[in-house]
Amino acid sequence: MSSLDVDRILQSIKDLPAFPATVQKVSELMSDDEYAMTDLVNAVEYDQAITANVLRMCNSAYFGFPRKISSLRQALSYLGRENIIRIVSTARISKYYRDVEGYRLKAEKLWEHSVGVALMSRILSEKIYGREEPWLFTTGLLHDIGKNVLGEFVNESFQKVMSLVSDEKYSFLEAEQEMLGMNHAEVGGRIASLWRFPKEMIDTIIHHHRPDLMEEGDNTGAYLIYLADKVCMMMGIGGGGADDLAYRGLKGAMEKFKIHHRELEVSMIRLSDEIEKAKELVKLL
Amino acid sequence: MGQIIIGISDFKISNKSQDVLITYALGSCIAVVVYDPKVKVGGLLHFMLADSSIDTKKALQQPAMFADTGVPLLFKACYKLGAEKRHMTVKLAGGASIMDDTNFFRIGQKNIMAIRKILWRNNVIVTSEDTGENYNRTVELHMSDGRVTVRSGRGPVKEL
Repeated sequence: MSSLDVDRILQSIKDLPAFPATVQKVSELMSDDEYAMTDLVNAVEYDQAITANVLRMCNSAYFGFPRKISSLRQALSYLGRENIIRIVSTARISKYYRDVEGYRLKAEKLWEHSVGVALMSRILSEKIYGREEPWLFTTGLLHDIGKNVLGEFVNESFQKVMSLVSDEKYSFLEAEQEMLGMNHAEVGGRIASLWRFPKEMIDTIIHHHRPDLMEEGDNTGAYLIYLADKVCMMMGIGGGGADDLAYRGLKGAMEKFKIHHRELEVSMIRLSDEIEKAKELVKLL
Repeated sequence: MGQIIIGISDFKISNKSQDVLITYALGSCIAVVVYDPKVKVGGLLHFMLADSSIDTKKALQQPAMFADTGVPLLFKACYKLGAEKRHMTVKLAGGASIMDDTNFFRIGQKNIMAIRKILWRNNVIVTSEDTGENYNRTVELHMSDGRVTVRSGRGPVKEL
């Protein structure tokens, strides 16, 4: 590990474009029960990329509205509260994904994996709590955002990272940490922090591979994203990268939610259906 | 050359020597690859879970999702094109796990056990396999000669 690498990684995070205010603005509006549709339309319509993607997604099989939706106002009034947050964050976050050479993964695959984890977090959250936690969906989309920055650095040390993983039985996360002084989960947390996401999201992203190491705060979200992430790896959703499956299995993850193996398998079946319906989301890249 | 892609919970067969059957990024799922060199007929099944009793309705819609409903389908489809069981090679790839596999994440192991049991019960011998470990695999079946290659995120291409 070298402190020079850490400095370069930190600089690379700082150089990222700012996260557009649209998503934050929409989340704020939605947290008020009496939100005005006009405010919402105003917040979204100036962001061309979001507007186009919102309409595309509304007309996809995933939402399955009976007739064609052609205006933003119409779209936003059809979608429920959770869907609005979900769709606006999906439409926006996809713009940040790029090919990550160090993980031998194309942007499309990394994005597909992120959508998979977001959908699985929703399935698990409904199963465990009987309701959806919209912030978990966004966290699912963002959990690997750190790879977009760290990829270049992993690539520089690729042979050494892989030899730690293959020969020394390091997890990929541990190999990143050893070689670069930082891992992609921590980098992701720093990016989320720079973009001023809420603390629970930042903590969850940082601990998405090791929820057991979270020292303070509620680790429920981190365990849930952990589980969703590992299931997607096992199913090969957005898979094919160099790090696939080279992460630690934590016994506590299933115990935490008191779910059984069989229930996890049922959730996997549900996820394959959802992924099929969400093809438009995956194609946003 | 015709490239035929097999997605998760799906299977395809072929009798055209220019075809290559390919399935990407197997994690805990398993590819069952069969080939009869006499008639150059073969197929590839990419199943996700061992046992269809978990969701019998799903098993009717998408039998290739499960080992127990997918395997008979694969063999029967090959027989229709003239393949014979006694000439067929059967190769397996996949069934990987995440590291420190605990009892709660044994889907890969469970899949390996299930497919071996099904084949054994039907007097089918596994010709070769590349299963377990903790990396993904991409599998190709070349219809011209029955060659099966496995590419992973780690290491060189292997021939099964």
